[in-house]
Amino acid sequence: MTHHHPDGLMLMEYSAGNLSEPYALCIRLHLDKCAHCRSRVDTLDSLGAVMMEQQAQVTVSESVFDRIMSRIDDDTPLPAKPASRPRGALSKLLGDDLNGLPWKRQLGDVSVLDITDRFPGQQEQVVLQKLCAGGKAPVHTHRGIETTVVLQGAFADNKGVFNQWDFVILGPEDEHKPVALEGDDCITLSVLSAPLKLTGTFTRLLNPFIR
Amino acid sequence: MTTLDPQNSRAEGRKDPWSQLLVKVGKNQDRQAYHALFEHFAPQIKYYAMANGMSSHAEELVQEVFVSIWRRSCLYDWRKAAASTWIFTIARNQRIDMLRKMQRTSAEMPVETEDLWQIPGENEDEPVTSLHRLMSERRVRESLKHLPEEQITVIAKVYMEHKSHQMVANELDIPLGTVKSRVRLALNKLKVILQDQNV
Repeated sequence: MTHHHPDGLMLMEYSAGNLSEPYALCIRLHLDKCAHCRSRVDTLDSLGAVMMEQQAQVTVSESVFDRIMSRIDDDTPLPAKPASRPRGALSKLLGDDLNGLPWKRQLGDVSVLDITDRFPGQQEQVVLQKLCAGGKAPVHTHRGIETTVVLQGAFADNKGVFNQWDFVILGPEDEHKPVALEGDDCITLSVLSAPLKLTGTFTRLLNPFIR
Repeated sequence: MTTLDPQNSRAEGRKDPWSQLLVKVGKNQDRQAYHALFEHFAPQIKYYAMANGMSSHAEELVQEVFVSIWRRSCLYDWRKAAASTWIFTIARNQRIDMLRKMQRTSAEMPVETEDLWQIPGENEDEPVTSLHRLMSERRVRESLKHLPEEQITVIAKVYMEHKSHQMVANELDIPLGTVKSRVRLALNKLKVILQDQNV
């Protein structure tokens, strides 16, 4: 059960199709496990339908319909149902073993994997971060906006506990010191609008839960 | 023309006429029903493309959306979404797809548009009937009647012109905070906003 959700404005940008792929991925991963937000998106999709219908109408020539029909006539018969449930976005991107990815160990309990190159043409930096079960990340704030969804395990900070599929956005005013809960290593997917800045003495080196 | 019998409609549930037509396309490849959907939705989709600067591709988008409607209609389930909502999500996804194809440089994206933006009712493990889904479009329509024009303007720019809240603020020359509060007020009416904690 997730407790931390995207806000309505971001869901609207998602429903409108305005988010870039990395942000849409964060939202989608959350939606897959959050019936509550799915129903919010249903309402927003309906809003989109009503907006589309209320706009000034234009005419479409019948020849467009004829072209569509000729494409359809070339179609093979309709498939009854999709053969199987397609693989989710996450396993398409990363395979099925998050722990087995080529993690780059950073200082202490933190590992990181930059997957920005999986999103060609996108502006944002996209990073996987892993905090060992029970591990601590150094105190840090964020220079830009960091949008995160928890993929595995859980972490806690001064704002609360973030479980699998929870969604959180941190900005420059949020100084925090995340700690992974015992059990699984905590793995998160983060989309970074700008590099992070460190506040602790250690600064420089670090990483993700820093960056 | 396919007849829309209100009696029949009541008997079959809370389906609206467009949803009934779409079911006919899915079940029987009914071309009359398909043409009626075309007459109603094709102009909306064309305008949708024109509103966000894709005028030269507007009829191409209409084609792509309708071919997709035909191919997917067998997956359409009226209990999961009204036809207009379902068609909106297909139009949105086809537009994203078209833009991705135009912008694609060299590397192929491993993720499909539909891995990121779902069509309602597909690939879901949820129980079929959800009163919420049935009600949502009617409720939205009802709520919109009571929204002030300035809120609708902002929402229309987000959905039809694909402007971010920041871009809407720049265009209307009002602070970003004002745009966001207008959207929030509207979403409150639509009950999309929730207390973010402990839901």
